[in-house]
Parts: sequence; C-alpha cells; structure tokens
Amino acid sequence: MKNASATLPPKQPTRTPLKKRSAMSVWVPLLSLAFLLAASMVIGGGEHGIWQSAKFLLGNAEARANDHLHMVMTTLRLPRTLVALSAGAALGIAGCLLQSITRNPLADPGLMGVNAGAALGVVALISLFGVDSSSASIVAALLGALGASLIVVAIASSTKNKLTPLHLVLAGVALAATFRGATSFLLTSSDVSYDRYRYWILGSLSGISTGEFLAVLPIFALGIALALIFARPTGALALGDDVATALGHRPATTRVVAIMAVTCLAGAAVALCGPIAFLGLLAAFVARRIEPEKFSVQLLLAGWIGGCVLILADIGARVIIRPYEAPAGVILAVIGGPLLIVIARSRGMMTLRRPGGH
Amino acid sequence: MTHPMPELSTGLNRHHLHPDVWTVRAGSYSFLVSKRASAAVVGLGLLLFVSACLSVAVGSGETTGFTAVKALFGEGTQVQTQIVQVLRLPRFAAGAAAGAALGVAGCLIQTLARNRLATPDIIGVNDGAVAGVLLVAIASSAAAIGAWWAGPAGAAVAAAIVVAAAGSMGTTGYRVLVVGIGVAVMLDSLVQLTLARQDLDAARSLYTWSLGYLNGRDYSSALPVAIGLAVLLPVALAVARRLNLSRLGEEVPTTLGVPLNRVRFAALIVAVGLAGLGVGVGGPIAFIALAAPIIASRLAGPRGVPLLVSALSGAALVTLCDTLGRVVGAAEVPVGVLTSLLGGPFLLWVLLTRKV
Repeated sequence: MKNASATLPPKQPTRTPLKKRSAMSVWVPLLSLAFLLAASMVIGGGEHGIWQSAKFLLGNAEARANDHLHMVMTTLRLPRTLVALSAGAALGIAGCLLQSITRNPLADPGLMGVNAGAALGVVALISLFGVDSSSASIVAALLGALGASLIVVAIASSTKNKLTPLHLVLAGVALAATFRGATSFLLTSSDVSYDRYRYWILGSLSGISTGEFLAVLPIFALGIALALIFARPTGALALGDDVATALGHRPATTRVVAIMAVTCLAGAAVALCGPIAFLGLLAAFVARRIEPEKFSVQLLLAGWIGGCVLILADIGARVIIRPYEAPAGVILAVIGGPLLIVIARSRGMMTLRRPGGH
Repeated sequence: MTHPMPELSTGLNRHHLHPDVWTVRAGSYSFLVSKRASAAVVGLGLLLFVSACLSVAVGSGETTGFTAVKALFGEGTQVQTQIVQVLRLPRFAAGAAAGAALGVAGCLIQTLARNRLATPDIIGVNDGAVAGVLLVAIASSAAAIGAWWAGPAGAAVAAAIVVAAAGSMGTTGYRVLVVGIGVAVMLDSLVQLTLARQDLDAARSLYTWSLGYLNGRDYSSALPVAIGLAVLLPVALAVARRLNLSRLGEEVPTTLGVPLNRVRFAALIVAVGLAGLGVGVGGPIAFIALAAPIIASRLAGPRGVPLLVSALSGAALVTLCDTLGRVVGAAEVPVGVLTSLLGGPFLLWVLLTRKV
C-alpha cells in the first residue's frame, strides 16, 4: 500500500466532507441518539403498545402503577437499550482503531477474527471448565479477543511482507477459521454447550440483565478512554510508522495501547451479545466519509454510528418476524455484506486516505 | 505471480526438445503429458491407497490393524467384514469422492480468478451449497441430508450473486474475493439462523454436518459425486487446457480462436457443480479446495492446470484427515473441524510466504 504523499495527483476529484462542521454537528448526533433510545424503549413485543410505554417514560402515574409494564420497561427493555448503545459504540470505535493500526479500510473485529477469538474464549470456558457465570465469560472473551488482536496486528505490521488490505482480510479469514475450528472442536466434544452457543453465535441482545451490563461497563469505559486519549498518535499510524515517528509519536507504544483498547471494546461487546460482524467496518467507513481528517472526531462519529445502527438493528430484531425475535447480528450481516461489496467495487475506497487528502 | 509459458500444441513438432513432456498422438489430435505430473499422479495414487488401508484399519472396537485389512478381503468373522465393508470402506469412498470434487472445483476457480486464494469456500460458493442442502433437508422435515441437487443449486445461486456483484470472474481477482467474503458471511448467518429455529437434536446433527462430517456417509451418498466427476472431469480437462491460455493475457486465446468468455463460463459451471456435489456429501470440508490445488501445483510443476493431481490430493487430504479425526479426540472429531484447524494456519503460511 502506498502511503499518502502530496506529490501524487489525486486519482479522483477529492470529495468535500458531507457538511461543514458547525454548531449543528453536535446536536444532530445527540438528538438522533435520544430519538433512537426512546424508540428502543417503547417498541417491542408483548401486550404493551407504543403509546402505553411512552406514557410510562413520561412518568404517567397510571402507567407507572402497572407492575407488568414496569417489569418490561426496567428489566427487559432498559438493559437491552443500554447494551445496544454501548456495544454498538464499542464495536464502531474498535473498528476505527483496527483500521488505523492495520492501515486497512477493510479491517473489522468480526472479519479479522477478533470476535472469533473472543467466542473461542467463551466456549472454551464453558466446555473445558464447566464454568457458566457471566463475569467469568467476560474474562474469557477478553483473553480470546486479546490473543486474536495480537496475532492480527503482528501479521499486519510484519515489515517483511507488506500485506495489502485484501491479504490482511484473508489473514483474518484464516485466523477466524482456525478459531472457529477450535470452537467447533470443543462444541462437538461436549453436549451441554451447543444449545446456548447456537443462539449466542447469532449475536443477539435479548436476555441480557442489568447486572451483566454493569459488570462490563467499566471495561467499555476503559476501552473508550484509551481510544480517545491516544486518538492523535493512533490516527498518525495510518500515515505509516516513519511519518508518525517524525511527528513525534511512538508507533510501537501506540500500537500496544490501541490493541488494548480494541481488545477491551470488542471482547466486552462479544461477551455481552455474541460475535457481531460488520458493525465496526460500517461505522468506521461512514465516519471516514463524514470526517476524513481528524481521527478523534472519526472515533466519536464511529461510536455514534455504531451505537445508532445497533439500536436500530435491535429494534428491527424485535419487529421483523414478530412474535419471534430475529438476531441483531443476522440483520447486521445482511446490511454489512452488501456494504463490503460496495467498498470493494469503489476504486478509491481501498485506501485509508486519499492521495493529497492530507 | 509469474507463469512460465505453457506449452502450446501448435502442430510444429518441437516437443522432442522437451525431455519432460510426452506427446500423445491420436490421428489428428495430440496432447502433451507432463512427466512430472504423471509422477505426481502415481505417487498420490499410492498415498490414496495407503490412506484407504489406514481408514479401514483405524476405528473403535477390535476390528483394527491387520485384522481389518484382512477383513476387507473377506478373511475374518462376519462382524468384522460387515464393519469394514459396510461402514469403513464406503465412508472412505465418500470422503475420497468429496475431496476430489472439492479439489477440482478449487483448482478451476483459482485458475479462473487467476488467484490462488480464490476458492469455493472463501468466495461463498460452499456456504451457498450448505444453505441449499440445509434448507432442503429442513423443508423435507427429516433433518437428513438427502437431495443430491440441493448442494449444486445453492452453490450456483451463491456463485451467480458473487459473479454479478463482482462484475466478472476473470479480470478482477481481488474484487471477487472481497465480494465473496461478504456473501459468505451473509450466507453463514442465514445458516446459523436456520439452525437456531430447529429443535435441538435436529439442529445438532445438521450443525455437525455443516462443519464437514463423513460419519454415516456411504456409497449411496458418494454416487452423485462419482457420476458428477465422471461427467464433469473430462469437460474440466478440456476447458482447463483452453483456460490455461488466458494466463498469457487476453489476446493470445483470441488470436488462437479460443472463445475465452464461453470457456470461462463453462469452467465456472463445472466448478460450481463439483463444489456443490462435494459439499452435498460431507458438508463444507474447509480449506480442501484451497490446499489441494496448491499442493498439486507444487507437485506437478507450474505447467498447465493440474486438475487430476488436485483431485487426488483433495481425496488424500480428506480421507487422511477423516481417519485422523477418529484417533485424536475422545469422541469422533468431524473432518471439517480438523481441516479448519490445519487449514487456517496453512492459509496464513501461504499468505505470509506468498510463493503461490
């Protein structure tokens, strides 16, 4: 891959960002997010209509007195909504980070095997040690995700053979296949785990309790904090190690921190709602189109997009095949597959930065 | 990737200058047989025979080792001959047929996309076949893998989507790959969704099959693939010879009067049919379609498209891994699980050394 250099003529007319940043650019994400959060709280299966749920949210005494509605709102929909927001944001930010450290616009925790590593961790824990507690599975998912992201970055940053974006994705496919092989090895050798696994593998947000969510929240917070604090050096990695060094950053250290952040974010998201692919790819892709320059803004945007898309997918999951639930992960795969095709077909999309764009 | 000039049979009788090729003539037809490829075929044939002996000799109970091999030739108790002739040998045949079909399909698609990494499992063709087989199995409510046409039908749908979305098969190797990966992920989540809606026992057996599993496969499941190979392999050989010209660029085949687009289409149809049939036997046995042609081209040399050698290495790989799966774990490990475990690192190695 060529690094950006100002001497190259642009291959295509440089796109202007979708809109100039203004005071509006803070309000649009916030308002859209608030709207989606509210929608996620009032839409759902069961006997309580949208109107009744809305009355509950607005503090209507009659609605608040309804025990069943109270249960649905606080123990079912509230944790789900919070999980969708935070896991989506986490995967979006993780995708953005991975794309920057691997210098690869196709990088995504799902495609690169990070999710598969986390899944292997969880399945290994259940089938080898018979442990089935949520806190233990979070630790296992984190360990698995860490192992996988270390391997991905090691492959991507091996100086001996520069991997093109495509080859890195293939390396991710190979890695994911190896992890999946190990996972199925464990699953076929123990009877207990497959039943849980087959729902969990689809990536679903149903049935997550507030307690589980709160247990993971600090890990999300740590990952997001790391990502934002180190946004500037991580963004510089996309320019290549030499440029980053020249700008006064330490590429090796930065990479380690970014890997830690990706691990926390992707691992925690997988531990909560199963391996969801394509969300990181999609969020980072759109964020880069909106804000091609500033990496810290890209991160925030990717978090916002990831959160919004996962909330939307989860609302869709509840209504598409009523009264059943469709898994949000499947909905995302159906959206994400075509997006990958679009990226592959567009010529300028195979690089992170346009020549002359910086 | 650099390719040496393949030999063109142009009627100028220069082949006696090439000590590594035999020229076979029949009237006005002639073709070249590479000595190295022939040696590879013989060697792999021997390996396949060894694999057959191993797969018969390895298993649970006391019918193992020489007892089993003797029972194969009818020397032994009735139970022993039953086990060997009704269970193990047919299973070997099914595995060999599936492996051969996957190997040939992989070799054809790699040649089409001019990319060693473009294989039916990576570009979603195998996932299409799995989806087809599962949907038909579930629709017939028996949760049994039956209809032989389901695999090829699903594979064809997936291939059509990939080729349509990528714009072509031949010229843009990388695009086909990325598009294929996208299609594969979509199909895979469709399969998982279908499995989640079944009752546990049915889902479990279908899931195990969807990993690539040869348990209980016999002559009847191998028959469609065997017929497919018998019909399609000659077509593939004829097509591959012309396809090989496209390595020299688009102009050479055109000058020689080879209708390249039609040849490519034929190759794709053959590859998709074989991949679908192969998946129909033992599920999507991972990485065989990638590894068999790579091994084949290392063995047979860079000249030509080593279809026969790919078929034999695919058969050997599948049957050896299947036998291995009966040894390594406490319970039987599906062959596809082993090939993913071994094939993932193999693909990484191919990517990182890139001698292909």
